[in-house]
Amino acid sequence: MSEIIISAENISKYYRLGTMGSGRLKEDFRNWFDKRFYTGRQPAGRRSVENGYPSPGTDASELWALKDISFEVSRGEVMGFIGRNGAGKSTLLKIVSRITMPTTGHIRGRGRVASLLEVGTGFHGELTGRENIFLNGNILGMKKKEIEAKFDEIVDFSGIESFIDTPVKRYSSGMYVRLAFAVAAHLEPEILIIDEVLAVGDSEFQRKCLGKMKEVSTQKGKTVLFVSHNMQALKNLCQRAIVLQKGRIVAMGDPASVIAGYLRQEKTQFLVSEFTDPMHAPGNEYIRMKKVELVPEYPDAAEIIDTRTPLLIRFEFSYLVEDPGDLIVGVHLFHITGDCIFDTASGKVSFGEGLIKGECLIPGNFLNDGSYYISIVFVRNTTIRLFYFESCLSFDVEDYRESGSWYGKWIGHVRPLFPVRLSRGENVDPSNDLSRNSSSR
Amino acid sequence: MNLSELWHYKDLLLRFVRRDLIANYQQTILGPIWIFLQPLLTTFVYYLVFGKIAKVKTDGISPLLFYLPGVIIWTFFSECLNGTMYTFLSNTHIFNKVYFPRLIVPLSIVVSQSVRFGIQLLLFFAVFVFHLFAYHDVNPSILPMLLLLPLLVCVTAAFGLGSGLLISVFTARYRDLDYALQFLLRLFMYAAPIVYPVSMVPEKYRFLCWLNPLTPVIETFRSVFFTGKPVEVQYLLISVASVSLLLLAGMVLFKKREVQVMDII
Repeated sequence: MSEIIISAENISKYYRLGTMGSGRLKEDFRNWFDKRFYTGRQPAGRRSVENGYPSPGTDASELWALKDISFEVSRGEVMGFIGRNGAGKSTLLKIVSRITMPTTGHIRGRGRVASLLEVGTGFHGELTGRENIFLNGNILGMKKKEIEAKFDEIVDFSGIESFIDTPVKRYSSGMYVRLAFAVAAHLEPEILIIDEVLAVGDSEFQRKCLGKMKEVSTQKGKTVLFVSHNMQALKNLCQRAIVLQKGRIVAMGDPASVIAGYLRQEKTQFLVSEFTDPMHAPGNEYIRMKKVELVPEYPDAAEIIDTRTPLLIRFEFSYLVEDPGDLIVGVHLFHITGDCIFDTASGKVSFGEGLIKGECLIPGNFLNDGSYYISIVFVRNTTIRLFYFESCLSFDVEDYRESGSWYGKWIGHVRPLFPVRLSRGENVDPSNDLSRNSSSR
Repeated sequence: MNLSELWHYKDLLLRFVRRDLIANYQQTILGPIWIFLQPLLTTFVYYLVFGKIAKVKTDGISPLLFYLPGVIIWTFFSECLNGTMYTFLSNTHIFNKVYFPRLIVPLSIVVSQSVRFGIQLLLFFAVFVFHLFAYHDVNPSILPMLLLLPLLVCVTAAFGLGSGLLISVFTARYRDLDYALQFLLRLFMYAAPIVYPVSMVPEKYRFLCWLNPLTPVIETFRSVFFTGKPVEVQYLLISVASVSLLLLAGMVLFKKREVQVMDII
């Protein structure tokens, strides 16, 4: 019905990893020799080859990052991409933005593509904010005139007017990101490709960016491809979503159901995560996660979380901020549909650098049956968000009810046992009662 | 080659040029004065080492005038080559995140080097005019000078760009090339008549020396500005032809490989 603006047919992408070194030249030469003198016939004793590339799984250093990906996006549609790290999302976005080519398959796009695989690509520390707006804008494909026309708007959006003629190397990381995103938000390509750039900046600025993106897609009819781990954002922005797993599409369709399916399938992964290698643990220069786990206090040997089960959330992290200041850790519980059930926080505590442990108990007989996930937020001095560890735990709550009670589905995300008391009132004559009422009127 | 696409990104090209020119002289005390200082100091060193100590002849040209154009032209060539041959390596972070025609980057390097070269030419003109009126020791031929100067600039730039484009595809893949190339580039300087005139090369090997595309450029420059000797047209034509071929080959290979290179870097 509406015009197809991107169409991908059976895209696959093959990578050969690692193996830089002295073997390179020899192997290149052998490959060249093979190609030149063995074309058309399969040389005996050589490894299996599929379209000139080894078939998947033959060697650990070889990888099909994407395999047989097909999808179409129509004009004005917002498409979300979900998947674990390494599922191929970024590779796919790179192919759509023409940074790399698929090994096999075709992709066709119509219209100007701008890709935001990071914010501030090409920013140069020695140049001023003003110069960098132009540099970054040009790199993203804007013309000088377009940038000039929007310059004031960009500066305004970034909120750093007074530093616009300061070299960006003097900026705080927050200012840097704001400026970079402000340029990006004022791009007007036909196709906008965004890779998790919203994972930066403070929450107010994130909301501003989300709002801007929504405006771009709905009012201006732009096509947006969007990768994020922020399920709430995905659900709000996207018309369709694709779940990638190990380079293949495992689900595509309505975002709410696709996201629910994704989280459900991921759940076993999320009951406990321990990060032994601090270099690769989630976090940043302030916070480095060590462990998060959900410990259910099972009522019986079946070890099923049901509505009665108290759930203990435990987390450990390295606090890397040297100078003392107040730290607050908040726990956000979401229903799988993205609705926030609660947002609760620790009191202000002043800590120095070091390992910090925390826990939060969700009592039994509080949640309804369903799927939930938890995010943890780290806030400093009540205003600065240090780190947001999103969707770090997720779990399913099974139904439990004493025999004889209601058999239908309990509605609502929570099912607390608030007492609902019934008692017998005074034994009065209904006719008396009626007359008393009418007299009082 | 998609020319309309390149044209669309002309603003980006100019922006890169601007970035190079501004960023390079940030936090330096002398700033852009370095553009003048570098050739002057180099010329002075050559004058001391090759002129005074080694007593290399200068074809009867005043030593300062003799070395200066060679130094400027060589700098222009080697900076173009050095800037473009690491196109993929030094721009990985940008190429990995945004698409634009990759050719914009090497082209912008050649343009910004041309700006520096232009400024250095002004310095040369100043010295030249001073000699013309104060010492009367130069014999310029004005018309060939005006006609040939743009050609000489183009040949030098195309030589640097063409070989840079070719090499850039390989430096991305084989990192060892880096060491070899820097060494070769230093040697190659002595294969061009920068610190000596071609007339000093033994007759037997002079032909080989002329085949270096930079030789006709530098010698022609000296002929039209200083000596008024006839230009060696046949060698200049060979130079133009070989450099054009090199540039064409460089562009084709670069264009063909620009996407694949990013997967292996």
